[in-house]
Amino acid sequence: MRKTAANLLAAAALATSIATVFAGTAVADPAGLPNAQDIVGVGSDTTQAVLNQLAADYNVTVTNPSAPHLYSWDAIPAGTITTKSGATPITRPNGSGAGITALNANTSATVDFARSSRAPQPTDPTTDDFVALAKDAVAWAAPSAGNAPANLTTQNLKDIYTCTVTNWTQINASLPNATIKPFLPQANSGTRSFFLTAIGGGTAVNPGTCVTSGVQENQGSDPALADVNALVPYSVAHYIGQVYFGKGSGADVQGPLTIRSVDGTAPVDTVNKTISSAFAATPYSRVVYNVFRDAEWTATDVHGTTLRAIFGRGGWICANGAADLKSFGFLPLSSFACGSVTHS
Amino acid sequence: MSRMRARLASSGAAVVLAVTAASGAAVADTTTTPAAGQAVITTDVAFLSNAARNGIVVIPLQPANPAFDPNAGLTVTLPVSGGAANIPAFYGDVQFGGGLLFLNLATGKSVTLKQFDFSVANGYFTAVPNGSTTPVPLLDPAGDNVINRTGLTQSLNSSSFQVDAEGANYLDAKLGTTYFTAGQQIGSLALSYTPAH
Repeated sequence: MRKTAANLLAAAALATSIATVFAGTAVADPAGLPNAQDIVGVGSDTTQAVLNQLAADYNVTVTNPSAPHLYSWDAIPAGTITTKSGATPITRPNGSGAGITALNANTSATVDFARSSRAPQPTDPTTDDFVALAKDAVAWAAPSAGNAPANLTTQNLKDIYTCTVTNWTQINASLPNATIKPFLPQANSGTRSFFLTAIGGGTAVNPGTCVTSGVQENQGSDPALADVNALVPYSVAHYIGQVYFGKGSGADVQGPLTIRSVDGTAPVDTVNKTISSAFAATPYSRVVYNVFRDAEWTATDVHGTTLRAIFGRGGWICANGAADLKSFGFLPLSSFACGSVTHS
Repeated sequence: MSRMRARLASSGAAVVLAVTAASGAAVADTTTTPAAGQAVITTDVAFLSNAARNGIVVIPLQPANPAFDPNAGLTVTLPVSGGAANIPAFYGDVQFGGGLLFLNLATGKSVTLKQFDFSVANGYFTAVPNGSTTPVPLLDPAGDNVINRTGLTQSLNSSSFQVDAEGANYLDAKLGTTYFTAGQQIGSLALSYTPAH
């Protein structure tokens, strides 16, 4: 029944979806206050733009105005948001961690799902369902005219972010004698969490005192990152969306940064404008998710059915979202993986 | 009547399976900590009954471990034999020991499938037929998939386990039947996997 509904939606939506992607429609926060029954999300910066696009395309397929529509609130700007009619005003969650916290601190009257660019962690409630959306990867970026080399090893990155190495000459004697300036996104960032775990070989490293935390992730426009000695972790998908598909706008652009190799593997397939298959096979590859409360995700009521029909296996996103995902740099998942649920 | 015959056929198959299981020998490898875990395939009674009506019997081959419950159906446990996979990240492969013998009692035709491999990225199980080196996509986890990681151990529970389209064509061709179909529901899957460490 659910599958049939999804298939019908798929057929109806395909043409609209493709047209919207190639028209480059700009989408951001909901234009108006969503209705109480609508499905609203908050959280990750990395997936905010593609969720906005998916929501816009999904909503075109919803012909009944009183049926639940899909909306997604961006990670920034900071401040208080009222996510939908009747919701409790909340501080706008900035990042995966903040989104998940907001999900668990509220009910579906305020937040239905959290965007997450990190996998579940042992500290997450076991009642949170991480529903797979797409594949991304995290590399590092530095100013194109800067002192950073084209490639750093995992050990180099670990040494830099633990401040064991602080000068480029310690990486390679031929590099400029200058102090490295490592940056990290703010503490609630899923990209930050994933990157620190990846460079630690599976165990998160504690950043050293030489590291500056707090930049908004995936925004190369930050003036601090224009420093010739700067480097920062960067979502490969977000970078591809910004550089190759014109998805950046305002501060959400790559600026002077270019994305670099890790362990000799280039993150971007510049010909096909996608995450390189070689990089996608490294530990720097990750799945991005939308997170739901298990009781709601598995419920047989209209709300639960709607959630699964949009985000679940064979649901609208898995059946129709590939073009949107690719145009924002992400790799669509197989039909087996897309919509699968992972617990902490 | 046909339901009774099906039950009898299922029970007969269960006896064969039980004998097969009882003769199994434990294998120990204490030199390292190898990959561990299992894939437990729980077949629906309806699938078993229909298969029996069509003269088809499925016999697990050691070290696969069968069990039968009249309510739950036939359970086949395939032990993990190796692989390198990260199931929550959807990449890699998990390999399994044992095999399955598909036997058509009406025609006497059979096919033995071994070297079961779960391709996590593709989301299907392949197996290699006897006398061949080419894996055949055989079974697909479907329905709702729930993935967990506890320490090193990863798990996948699929509410539905189905015959792959290629697998259906292959089995029908080898057994001389038209019984198998793409997406045919055979039961459910519970997989656990701990990588070598």
